[in-house]
Amino acid sequence: MQEEYKKGILDRLADKFVYALGSFISLFKKGWKEKNKSKMEEWRLMLYALNRSPPALIGLVLVIGFIFLGIFGPHLAPWKYNYFPSLENWTVQYPAPPGTSVYLPYSHKTITYPLGSDNYGRDLLSMLLHGARTSFVISIIVIFLGVPLGIILGLIAGYHGGKIDELIMRITDMFLAFPALILAIALSAVLPQRLQMFVQSHVVLEKLTLLLFALDRREVGNLGNLLSVIFAMIIVWWPAYARITRGSTLTEKEKLYIEAARAIGLSSRTIMFKHILPNIIGPILVYITLDFGGVILMEAGLSFLGLGATPPIADWGRIVYDGIQYFPRAWWLIFYPGLLVMLVALGWNLLGDGFRDILDPKTRRSIEFKVKKSEEAESNV
Amino acid sequence: MSEPILEVRNLTVHFYTYAGIVKAIEDVSFDVYKGETFALVGETGCGKSVTSRALTQLIESPGRIVRGSVIYHSDKGSVDLLKLNEEEIREIRGSEIAYIFQDPHSSLDPLYTVGYQIAEGMEVHGRVKSIKEGIQKAVDILRSVLIPDPESRVKNYPHELSGGMKQRVVIGTGIANSPKILIADEPTTALDVTVQAQILELIDDLRKKYNATVILITHNLGVVAETADRVAVMYAGKIAEIGSVEQIFKNPLHPYTKGLLKAVPNPMTKVERLDAIPGTVPNLITPPGGCRFHPRCPFAMEICKKKVPELKEIEDGHFVACHLY
Repeated sequence: MQEEYKKGILDRLADKFVYALGSFISLFKKGWKEKNKSKMEEWRLMLYALNRSPPALIGLVLVIGFIFLGIFGPHLAPWKYNYFPSLENWTVQYPAPPGTSVYLPYSHKTITYPLGSDNYGRDLLSMLLHGARTSFVISIIVIFLGVPLGIILGLIAGYHGGKIDELIMRITDMFLAFPALILAIALSAVLPQRLQMFVQSHVVLEKLTLLLFALDRREVGNLGNLLSVIFAMIIVWWPAYARITRGSTLTEKEKLYIEAARAIGLSSRTIMFKHILPNIIGPILVYITLDFGGVILMEAGLSFLGLGATPPIADWGRIVYDGIQYFPRAWWLIFYPGLLVMLVALGWNLLGDGFRDILDPKTRRSIEFKVKKSEEAESNV
Repeated sequence: MSEPILEVRNLTVHFYTYAGIVKAIEDVSFDVYKGETFALVGETGCGKSVTSRALTQLIESPGRIVRGSVIYHSDKGSVDLLKLNEEEIREIRGSEIAYIFQDPHSSLDPLYTVGYQIAEGMEVHGRVKSIKEGIQKAVDILRSVLIPDPESRVKNYPHELSGGMKQRVVIGTGIANSPKILIADEPTTALDVTVQAQILELIDDLRKKYNATVILITHNLGVVAETADRVAVMYAGKIAEIGSVEQIFKNPLHPYTKGLLKAVPNPMTKVERLDAIPGTVPNLITPPGGCRFHPRCPFAMEICKKKVPELKEIEDGHFVACHLY
């Protein structure tokens, strides 16, 4: 007896969502909805496939939560990350445990710590919310710069072959030969000063970085460290993608339609980016999703080792690092940031696994079949 | 008819593999005349496809065109296609010399509509200004390759079409720029017998309509007899015999051609068993010395093992590379 799926609430929501999206696009492009019926159907089935996989849903919720915190975290934080209550009231023993309230005599305010405080009396919740932005921005920048770099190099190596291939892939091998963490540590130890000078000599870049990380102007002197971690991770991140892309390119370029594309006189660039890349991008996208968790873990790892974000910039790994000396009394300094890093990494991994199923047309078809079958069954009754 | 459009001289392609140098084709020379259908025949692995791809430098690494020349006589004068750089040869590919590949199921990109793929070829050669305009023109092209309801087919993806339809689309991409030479590399191998005849007829009609020259690559002698004007028989990377269809079929000179023709069933005569040529195609890394056919040849002589036979003209337009003549 074959399994049948009934449409659940989520499926009906998916129907409505896709319909709304189609109508929305039709506002700008007339008749889009009518022309792209099959595309919308595919989207609907992708959402159905997502609904059938609880781990992927959990991953999606975690990731959406992380993205939300990454964007709005600093604005939601009740206190600023560089506000030090210990300067006003030194009678309290910091780090203060969760639930403590402290009266601040100079600003006539009372600060309550829902998740405890650090050794300077900073609110841990606010620091975690600010830290979400740091992780989020770093992971986005690393993925958006490192991955395309790897993909482009992999495409060129795979497509052209011969000496170019040897050259690019041997360089890739050299990078892969170093343990990623060691290379990143070396780079982020060497680079900060130079990057600091570079950033400070470009006002636009400086302002943009401050804005992205939601930092105070006072933190200008610490940008070099932050950027050096990003830079180091990009350098560490591209080789894996160069390898995957090259491998897929090698199989893809043997396909007859690539030869046909050459035979009608298309340029190498058009063939690489319009015919090879779209055909191999599916597995790479899955890999990217899985890798977001990896970037966040490594970033936390680097700042745990004291590289990257320098205090008072809030960063999950750094909070753990600074909290170690107060462990186990101040367990909250390690538990909460650790929990967040774990949940986010887990979320991206679950979502990535789910993506693999969703992007597979065979899974989609079988779900379509099962849903249709149960709909027929319903109407017969 | 006697005006050559393509003169191929001493074309040699080697593949540099780990196992050794594969001498895929050696000193291949032939002429193709304007407006004719020229057939390249031979068994699998004898270098037909390599020859056709080498004409526009479509040889991929590790392959390399070692020597030779391909003189192309166009309205704008004569050029050696093998001396052109990548940029210049790209302008010839698809616009002057177009290809139709063997397997229609894999010669279309699965991610683009057929209209887009036809339009892309026109756009790159500046025949249309944009892909959008090209897709409108693609409707006419699909109509000319006899696809029913081209207005809606143009928006279809390759997986939505049947094999015969796909091959028509592939032919459509080939003729989109009305090329002077159309190279059809086993265009019917992947299709059913019923569709094969239609496709061949279509190619022939298009040849007449666009006043093009067709180079037909096949191992099917029936197809050759049906459609070709002149035939070149290839064996192990060399030309064995060239002649008109009548000369080759009525009066085959090379022992290999004779063997091939004997291996084709003839419905008019009753035979118990079909003849086969003993042995297999030689390894092209270490081809036999002298005439490459001598280990399988029933008439092999001492000289065949030592001396490579030259192409000799036996009768008007009938060349053969064999020491028997």
